[in-house]
Amino acid sequence: MIKTALLSGTCFALMASVAGAGIKVGFIGSMSSDTGLSTLRGAEIAIEELNADGGVMGEQITLVSADTGQDPTEGVRAYEYLAETEEVDFIISGSIDDVSLGWLPRMQEYRIPTLDTWTSYIGIIDMVVEDPESMTPYFMNIASDEALATLYINFGADVLKKKMGWDSVVILAEDTAFGEAITGLVTEALAPVAGIEVKEIITYDVATVDFAPIFGRAQDTEADFIYQVSSVNSQVVSSQYVKLQVPMAMTGVNVSALGMEYWEDTGGAGGGISTLSPVPSIGFKLDPVSQEFVDAYQAKYDSRPLLPHFNGFNAYHGLKQAMAAAEEAGGFDNVEAWAEAMQRQDLVLDLDGQLWLRYAFWGDDEVEPVTMRTYPHNARFDLSEPFDDAQPSMVVVQWYEDGTAAVVYPDKYATGEFTLPSWVSK
Amino acid sequence: MLQILIQGLLLSGLYALIAMGFMLIFSIGRVLNLAYGAYLMVGGYTYFWVSQSLGMPKLAGVVVAAAVGVLMGVLKYSLIVRTLRRNHVAVEIATLMLAVVAQAGIVLVFGDSSKVLLPIVPGVLNVAGASVTCNILVAMIISWAILLGLYVCVRQTHTGRAMQAVSMDAKGAAISGIDPDRINLITWGISGALGAIGGVFFASYTQLSPSMWVAPLIISIAVVIVGGIGSIIGTLVVAHIVGFLEVIVVAELAPELRGVFTMLLIICVLASRPQGLFGREELH
Repeated sequence: MIKTALLSGTCFALMASVAGAGIKVGFIGSMSSDTGLSTLRGAEIAIEELNADGGVMGEQITLVSADTGQDPTEGVRAYEYLAETEEVDFIISGSIDDVSLGWLPRMQEYRIPTLDTWTSYIGIIDMVVEDPESMTPYFMNIASDEALATLYINFGADVLKKKMGWDSVVILAEDTAFGEAITGLVTEALAPVAGIEVKEIITYDVATVDFAPIFGRAQDTEADFIYQVSSVNSQVVSSQYVKLQVPMAMTGVNVSALGMEYWEDTGGAGGGISTLSPVPSIGFKLDPVSQEFVDAYQAKYDSRPLLPHFNGFNAYHGLKQAMAAAEEAGGFDNVEAWAEAMQRQDLVLDLDGQLWLRYAFWGDDEVEPVTMRTYPHNARFDLSEPFDDAQPSMVVVQWYEDGTAAVVYPDKYATGEFTLPSWVSK
Repeated sequence: MLQILIQGLLLSGLYALIAMGFMLIFSIGRVLNLAYGAYLMVGGYTYFWVSQSLGMPKLAGVVVAAAVGVLMGVLKYSLIVRTLRRNHVAVEIATLMLAVVAQAGIVLVFGDSSKVLLPIVPGVLNVAGASVTCNILVAMIISWAILLGLYVCVRQTHTGRAMQAVSMDAKGAAISGIDPDRINLITWGISGALGAIGGVFFASYTQLSPSMWVAPLIISIAVVIVGGIGSIIGTLVVAHIVGFLEVIVVAELAPELRGVFTMLLIICVLASRPQGLFGREELH
């Protein structure tokens, strides 16, 4: 709370690069987190490129920012600021789940076209299913957490069970909405689909900084491996796992391990950790278009994050798609027309002659064949080999003890192999 | 059970180290130094900067951190506490605000993201199935050494006895030729050093983050309130009660309840024995 109070002083930092009329884009997200900055910078580069090409509908695009400080209350204020004070035409979000949930009612009220690039909460897509009218302006161009978890179960079956021979797991989960959602999805599916028994679920407070007794308790379960779900304070659990050399393998969801700064942030005490990651991830082979974006990004920014997180790519491609949809719809004022045009956006990026990444959305009534449900306004993903309809909803990334990282699952995208830390025997 | 015993002992040693500086100020200066957690935070970040960013020897990092802690303590006493000494509420509010300012400064210099401090003493031992890092083992040993040294210092040295006198009655001490202002200045300096060193070990055990000052402050308050004003032994004993309580709760009940029982303990002690379990009028 104190951090929030501090940040509120600098909240709503204005970053308008061009004054005057034109199309105004608002960024909402944390301006002090790597993930928030990834979205902001991805949007900035997209806007620069669009403006260099003459803008949209002959108008230049400007960007204003509102800092949420990763706090839901600040997030609501930030959205109101963008809507009322800045009167933006379009909002791009790098918000975490709880913050997006906070400002969603404002979006429904103001009906400003909004693209979320970071939150993956399936509950928001459920809102689109249940109340499509009020959620018309909303799009999420990251695969929902349900899709992430579903493919992760395949990793459990293919690698953890089949290759490693593990039969049981103990789950360590942060006490958050995200932790609860992922834990629920994984717990429900691991045993019936992958044949891995969940021995115990240990939930801990996000402020936990001493994991020795928690790891001790995990060891007492005699499970074959630990599955961690950590999105808020994830580098401390992974670094203590390494420092304590816990004699059990650990994989799962570790948000801090998604960025290139992970190694530096853990002081090198991060080897052996693996995590599911939305795509593109660290260690991910990039198609030429995405590589060009990274080159532009690294030429422009020399501060962290040195490589944009997945949501930076989502922001870069997503903002261009939102502007293309506006051109088709004659602007952003007719939200229904814009949403229809947005839903038709489809960017296929090839690598070595095969589909590598796809930025598109599910149709309103289109049923995903594995989960057998619809994902309206959600990024298109593919849950089955050979991933020829879209990219997988996630990949598994592993940090090795030499400080390098690689994608270890699925095979099509793999750049390395899943390995155990040197101090773990099984 | 053995795991709990080992982990409890280690954690308690760290807590005793953290709480000692806070207890000194509370006992001698009668000030609830709510900026105490900032000593730990600044100490941890100073060590990080010296030893990890600049690549200097670890010992140099600890020494510089302690020196910065002394400087903080002395400056805080000279500029804030001495000025506001007649108004305890103002002192406490000012110290709390100072911690917030220190946090903002850390965010400005080091950024908002957490950082992991490498162990000061690397290595892991396996004791009865429990992983014990050499780092926290050394922290526990240092903690005991400092407590012992402080105990001897208070009882055997002139300055220590002067600290006892000031803790009992500052005016009486002044009549006896002791300069309470000088003793307070020394105490604030020692407290700053202890806090900074505690911060180095605490951060190397956990992590560095701009909000890391809050948890140690709560631990310190708990230990001092339950232990009572002025008791070095009480601090040691209660640090062990709190440490073991936390480890047992995490291992046997639920990790989310880790701090809850400590809070309940504070309430129970305040209700039944407001002076604390070992509280006395003077430092002992």
